[in-house]
Amino acid sequence: MIQLTVNGVEHSLDVEADTPLLWVVRDYLNLKGSKFGCGAGLCGACTMHLNGEPIRTCITPISTVAGQAITTIEGLGDQGSLSSVQQAWVELNVPQCGYCQSGQIMSATALLAKNAKPNDDDIDSAMSGNICRCGTYPRIKAAIHSVASSNATSNDDLFTNIMADQKPSVMEEK
Amino acid sequence: MTSLLNSPTKTSLNTSRRSFLKASALGSGGLMMTIAMPGCATLKNGGLSKIGNTERWDANAWLRIDSDNSIHFVLDRVEMGQNTYTGMATLVAEELEVDPESINVSFAAADSVYRNTVYGLQITGGSTSIVSSWEIVREAGAATRMMLIKAAANTWNISESDCIANKGVVINQAAGHPQNGQKISFGALAAIAATYSVPNDITLKDKADFKLIGKYNKRLDAVKKATGTAGYGIDTELPGMKYAVFSRAPRWDSELKSFDASKIENMPGIEQVFAVNKPSAIGVAIVAKSYWQAKKAQQLLSVEWGDSELTKVDNASIFAQYRKDMSQDSGKNVRSEGDIQAALSNAAQTVTTEYKMPFLAHATLEPQNCTAWATADGLEIWAPTQSPDMAQVAAAKASRYSLNDIKVNTTFIGGGFGRRINQDFVAEAAAIADHVQQPIKLIWSREEDTQRDWYRPSSLHKLTAAVDDSGNITGWNHQMAGSGVFDYFVGDAAPAQYPFMPKFMFGVLESAGKMGEGIIAPADGSIFEGANEIPYDFANINVDYKKSDSGILVGNWRSVGHSHTGFIVETFIEQLAQLPQVKAQKDAYQFRFDLLNKHPRAQAVLKKAAQEANWGTPLPGCTQGISIHKSFGTWVAQIADVEVDANASSDQQLKVKRVVCVVDCGQVVNPDTVVAQMEGGIIFALSAALYGDVTIKDGIAQQTNFHDYQLLRINQAPSIEVHIIESNEPPTGVGEPGVPPLAAAVANAVTAKTGQLFDSLPLKLG
Ligand code: FES
Ligand code: FES
Repeated sequence: MIQLTVNGVEHSLDVEADTPLLWVVRDYLNLKGSKFGCGAGLCGACTMHLNGEPIRTCITPISTVAGQAITTIEGLGDQGSLSSVQQAWVELNVPQCGYCQSGQIMSATALLAKNAKPNDDDIDSAMSGNICRCGTYPRIKAAIHSVASSNATSNDDLFTNIMADQKPSVMEEK
Repeated sequence: MTSLLNSPTKTSLNTSRRSFLKASALGSGGLMMTIAMPGCATLKNGGLSKIGNTERWDANAWLRIDSDNSIHFVLDRVEMGQNTYTGMATLVAEELEVDPESINVSFAAADSVYRNTVYGLQITGGSTSIVSSWEIVREAGAATRMMLIKAAANTWNISESDCIANKGVVINQAAGHPQNGQKISFGALAAIAATYSVPNDITLKDKADFKLIGKYNKRLDAVKKATGTAGYGIDTELPGMKYAVFSRAPRWDSELKSFDASKIENMPGIEQVFAVNKPSAIGVAIVAKSYWQAKKAQQLLSVEWGDSELTKVDNASIFAQYRKDMSQDSGKNVRSEGDIQAALSNAAQTVTTEYKMPFLAHATLEPQNCTAWATADGLEIWAPTQSPDMAQVAAAKASRYSLNDIKVNTTFIGGGFGRRINQDFVAEAAAIADHVQQPIKLIWSREEDTQRDWYRPSSLHKLTAAVDDSGNITGWNHQMAGSGVFDYFVGDAAPAQYPFMPKFMFGVLESAGKMGEGIIAPADGSIFEGANEIPYDFANINVDYKKSDSGILVGNWRSVGHSHTGFIVETFIEQLAQLPQVKAQKDAYQFRFDLLNKHPRAQAVLKKAAQEANWGTPLPGCTQGISIHKSFGTWVAQIADVEVDANASSDQQLKVKRVVCVVDCGQVVNPDTVVAQMEGGIIFALSAALYGDVTIKDGIAQQTNFHDYQLLRINQAPSIEVHIIESNEPPTGVGEPGVPPLAAAVANAVTAKTGQLFDSLPLKLG
C-alpha cells in the first residue's frame, strides 16, 4: 500500500512501486486532467506539483513520492471558481486543442507562486519544458504577464480549490 | 441525448433552394431543424445526393430547440483546436438572436441517428468547416427564428412584423396590444413552430447588422480546456475497462511470423497476449489491468517478423528513385501556359534549382489512442478521429462487425493536423476488442506514434526559370516526384462513401477509389497543389507531377501539398529576385508585387505586410525575408525578422525574432480565432523549418520522441503580429494557410544576410 495526498485528499493505493505517478492519478484516482504526451519527461503534458515544485509525472515512480503532497490541475480551480492563471488562460483564449494546457498551467502556476513578476526570460526558463504543438506560446506568455500585472498571485488566487492548510508549503514562505 | 431525437426521416425531395433544411417536431415538445451542409467531405458532397434517379436526404447538422429552452447544435465535424465549435455557434446565434454561449455544440457520432444511407464522408480537414457552412448554418438559424416568431405572432394574434427575437425570447412589440412588451421563450414556442414548414423566403442579415460575426471573440471551450475537464479520446473511461498496447512490425509491410509471450504471461496484471492479423492491424496485443503493466510487458515480448520490401529503403534510395522516375517521364501535366520549351531555348539565361523536401511527422501532442467495446450486440468506439465515417469502416474491416453494428463516438482531439484522417489506431482497437469481448483502451507510446506515422511525403522538385536580357522572367518550369497521399487512405475512404455496400465489396470499392481518382474523387493534389496555382504573371508556365511511391506511409499534414510548395515557390522566386539584373531594378517585395498584378487581393496582403513589418528596416541585429502563398482560398503574406548566429550550436543558429502575418480569408467569423490559427500555423511551420526531418534507414524512421524529433519551445518562439484584411468576400480557410509561407520567409531572411540559397529543409546554415 502506498499513501499519497492528492489535492489535499489522502489515498492509499495498491499499485506496483514503479508505476509512474501520472498513470496512478489518471487511472486509479480517475483525475484525467493531467495528460500523457511523451512518457519521457520531454513535453510537460503530465506536469503536477510535488510539494509546490513542478515535476514530470510520467517518469516519477509512485514509490518516490509516497506520503507527499501532490497537486494536479483539478486542485487549482474548477469551472465555477477558476484560479487566477486559469482565468487568464480563458480571457486570452490561450487553448487551441488544449491537450498541453493542464501542464502549461501547472508550470505557470508554480512559476508565479515563486516569482510574482516574472520577466520574459523567467517565463522562458520556467516554461520551456512544456511543448505546445498548437503553438500557443505567445498567448501563454501574455497570460502569465497578465496574472502578474493583476497581482493575482497569492495562494488564494493561484489555488482556489485546495483548502488553505493543504496548500503546498513553499507557498507559505512567500 | 439521442433518445430525444427522432431519426431524421429520409424523404425524396426536389432540388428547391430550401431543400437543405427540414423541420420536425420532437416528442418532448421541441423543434428540430435538420440541415444538409455541402462540402463537409473532401471526396463527395453531402446534401442531396443522387442514386439513379432518386435524390435522398442527407442531413449532417442538427439544430434543436427543446421545450426547456436549451439549444443544441450537433454537427458532423470534430474539434481539433481550430475552434470550429465556436465558429458554428456564432453563425447559428447571429441569425437565431441568441448568445453563442447558450448553444450547446456537440459532435455527431457516426451512428444510425446522425448517419444517413447516402452520405459524404465525415472528415474535418481541408480548412473547410466555416467555408462550407457559411450560408447554410446562418439560413438554418434565420429560418428557425422566423418560425419561432410566427409561432409567437399566432399566439398573440398579431403580425409577425410586430415581433422581434432577442436573446432566446420573442418580444411582443405591437403598439397598443394588451400583451405589448411581453416575452415568450423559444422553448415554449418550439412545439408550435415545429408544426410549420420551413419558410421559402429567408433573408440573411446584412453585414452592417452583424452583432457577432466578425466581432465575437470568445472561445467556448476555453474553460473546459483550462480546467482539465475537456474529455479527449485518451480520457475515455468505461466500466471494467482494460488497457492494451500493440506491438507492430518495425516496417509496416512485414507479416507476423511468431511471438514468444512466455516471459510476460505471468507478469502482474497481464490478462491476454495474442496475435492480430488483419490487413490494417498486424501485430501482437497485450491486454492488462493497467497501462503501465501492459507497457512494461511489451518490452519483454519477443516477436519474429517476416521479410519486408522496405529493408533496403533509405533516404538516399528514395531520392534516387524520385530522380530516376522523374527523368524517365515527366508524369502528369498539372499546369500549362504558353510554350515553356520555346521560352527556355530562347532565354538569355536559365536558373535551375533542385529541391529535396523531407518526410515530416504530425506529432500530435495526444498520441494515437482508441477505446473500443465489443459485445455480442455490436462494437462501440470512442476515438479522437478526424473522420468518424472512415473510423467506422476501419473498425468493420478489422472486426467481425458490420457497419450497422458499429457506433463511433468522437471526443475532443489533442491535435489532428491530418494525422487522424488515417484510422489505423481505430482498426487496431477494434480488432483487439473483438478478440477480448471487453472494453479496452489502446494507447500508443510516443515512440510508436513517431515511428508509425503517415508522414508528410518527401518529394523531389526541379525548378527552371527562363530569364531574358533585361531580367524579366519569361518561363517557369516545375517538375516534381513523390508519393500521393490519396493512395494511403483510400482504403477506408472509398467504402465510407458507400456504407450500404456489404463488407465483401470493400476491396472492389478500394480499387475503384484508386482507379476512379479524378472522376469520383478529386485528383490527388497532395504533392503539386500550390505549385500548379502559382499566381505570378509569367507568359510561359509548365508544372508536371510524376507519381513515385516510396513505400513509406504518407498522409495529410497540415496544409498538405502547400506545406512544401509554399517553400519551394517562394524561395525560388527569391532566388530570381536576387539575380543581379533583377535586384538592380527592384527589391524582393516589389518583384513579387509587380508579378501579382492579376491578383489584387494578393497585392493588398503583401503591401500591408510590408507596411506593418517596416519592410526595409529590420529589427536590430536581424534581416528580413518576405513570402506570400495562397491555400484553401486564403492569402497569407509573412515577413520574418531573423537573427543569424553562425557561432551558436547547430540548432540555435537561426533565431526568428518576429513574424508579421497578414491574412485575407474573406469575411471573418471569429477574429481572434483567425489570429490564433495564424499564430499556431506559424509556430507549427517554424518547428518544421528549423528541425523537421524524419529520416529513413533500412525502411525504418529514425526519430522516436521529442529529443530527436524536436518541436519549437517557448524560448524559441518569435513574437507574432497578425493583421486581418477587412473583406466582404465569403469566408475561406484559416486552420492551415498560416503554415505554407513561413519557411520561405525565414529562409529568405537568412539569404538576405548570408547570400545562402536554400534547396532543402530543415534550414541549416551552409
Ligand atoms: S508526458 Fe511527461 S513529460 Fe511528456
Ligand atoms: S493547445 Fe494543442 S498542444 Fe497546446
